[in-house]
Amino acid sequence: MKKIFAALTSTALLAAALTGCAAEQATGTADEKRVAAVSITDGWVRVYEGTQEAGGMTGGFATMTNNTDQEITLVGASSELAMMTEVHEVVMIDGEMKMQAKDGGITIAPGETVTLEPGGLHVMLMGLKNALLEGEEVQITLDFEGADDVEVVWPAKASAAGNEEYTGSAE
Amino acid sequence: MTNVSRRGFLAGASASAGALVGAAAGGLIGSQLGSDSATAAAELKAQTAVLKRKEPFTGAHQNGIELELQTFTNFVSLDLLAGADKAAMLRWMTLLTDDIARLTQGDPTLADAQPQLALGPARLTVTVGFGPALFSKLGLEHQLPESFKDLPAFKVDALKPEFSSGDVLLHVSADDPIVLSHAVRRLITDSMAFASVRWSQQGFSNAQGVVPHGVRQRNLMGQVDGTDNPAFNTNDFDNLVWIQDGPSWIQGGTLLVFRRIAMQLNTWDQLGRIDKEQVIGRRLDNGAPLGKNNELDPPDFDARDTNGLKVIPDFAHIRRAHATNPGERFFRRPFNYEVGMTADGNPDVGLLWTAYQKNLDTQFIPVQRRLDQFDLLNKWTSPIGSAVFAIAKGVRSGEVLAAELFA
Repeated sequence: MKKIFAALTSTALLAAALTGCAAEQATGTADEKRVAAVSITDGWVRVYEGTQEAGGMTGGFATMTNNTDQEITLVGASSELAMMTEVHEVVMIDGEMKMQAKDGGITIAPGETVTLEPGGLHVMLMGLKNALLEGEEVQITLDFEGADDVEVVWPAKASAAGNEEYTGSAE
Repeated sequence: MTNVSRRGFLAGASASAGALVGAAAGGLIGSQLGSDSATAAAELKAQTAVLKRKEPFTGAHQNGIELELQTFTNFVSLDLLAGADKAAMLRWMTLLTDDIARLTQGDPTLADAQPQLALGPARLTVTVGFGPALFSKLGLEHQLPESFKDLPAFKVDALKPEFSSGDVLLHVSADDPIVLSHAVRRLITDSMAFASVRWSQQGFSNAQGVVPHGVRQRNLMGQVDGTDNPAFNTNDFDNLVWIQDGPSWIQGGTLLVFRRIAMQLNTWDQLGRIDKEQVIGRRLDNGAPLGKNNELDPPDFDARDTNGLKVIPDFAHIRRAHATNPGERFFRRPFNYEVGMTADGNPDVGLLWTAYQKNLDTQFIPVQRRLDQFDLLNKWTSPIGSAVFAIAKGVRSGEVLAAELFA
């Protein structure tokens, strides 16, 4: 049976009783009193005109919370769907909103929450290997420094927002 | 936070709309009463009590049926896009299930363009059903529930295609019109990769805080409507409404007959009270059957007046609609509609009338045939829209709506 996305959080788990640096990989469930080093909720991948054919690019968005007492940084990502995946930001360049790779990744301070959203920080999936269908589930591995990598499954959803031009050098 | 607001509620209960949440107030101690902040919190809680009420999404049955009427409703019927297959249906239902799980709890959806409008639950429910044509389009005839098919034509029908039929129904209701509008917008946005909108029909019932629970509402002709309904949480309701056999996806589901019934109020109002009561067979003041004193008294169809005339005339609606056996009943949950008026002041009003049942052949259709043959009420009411939908069973946490149908 398919999982509902609301229930999907990270798989990098940390025993609640331990101090932050004692992170350990575990496969326990929430009722085992473990919390994720980084909680990742409300993830989704954008479907738009640019995802109708292979070769397109799109963004992944989510809410990430650092449950430890040390900095955690999202430095990269990978997905079967895309040839290349980067961590991006949207910035004002010459009076226009453009997106580009974010130097150093996205850092989440201890106890803080960072939101990836259209028009802002996002995971950029480039060189899509096939068209993206609405309702499809996209597997992504998020690469953290300060926490274990996290595998997520995000649904593909239509969104009109997020048409910033890409200025990066993905080629 | 819970503590503060509960204390606050008690402090302000006598002054505000405490009736809506009254039962929750027990057990708090009076010694904590009195501070200004508690009073302010109580007022805020009372002012937003309608918003905060929440309906569960998961359960054996979909929500929005065995439930007191919400104030606002929108029935949206969609037709599959050409080329949509079972895999597309499953992806669509996956998106809708997640959307509904969030919206009913008062949260925005993923990729919500207006998350600010997810004000709260406001008893939002979304009920998903499938029309007969969907099964033939997808080659799913073997999954059809027993008796489920398009209704036969009735003489009284004046059906318009723009109010009738459809492959998929999204029935969305809430106690707040902005919460409802936002939810429908999200659900429809997430449906456009799979289907196009065939029609949408909006309706309303009483505002919250106007009629006690369990009281049947009055329709816009002034009649008390829904008197013979099975009571919630009874074996009677279960036996009439919830399907227990057949394909697994419908076990726990039900069959919906939807009828848009227009009312001719200008000509109806030419009748005096006594004539109106004879047409329906009930008193207008309290809904009691003619010859009886209380709404819930059983009608006496054999009673005659001093002139030897039947107290409840042969043409009376309740005589024609009355079940000839105990299983020939169904659950009605009608909303009103009003969409403007003509230059001569005749309002375009009526009912978004619904009947939920296990079996169309033994429940709605025989009753409707009797009404079709001879029911004086037909002179002032006419069905201008009609559709049937099979309502899938409910979901447990982690499941996708109707997944077994489209697997």
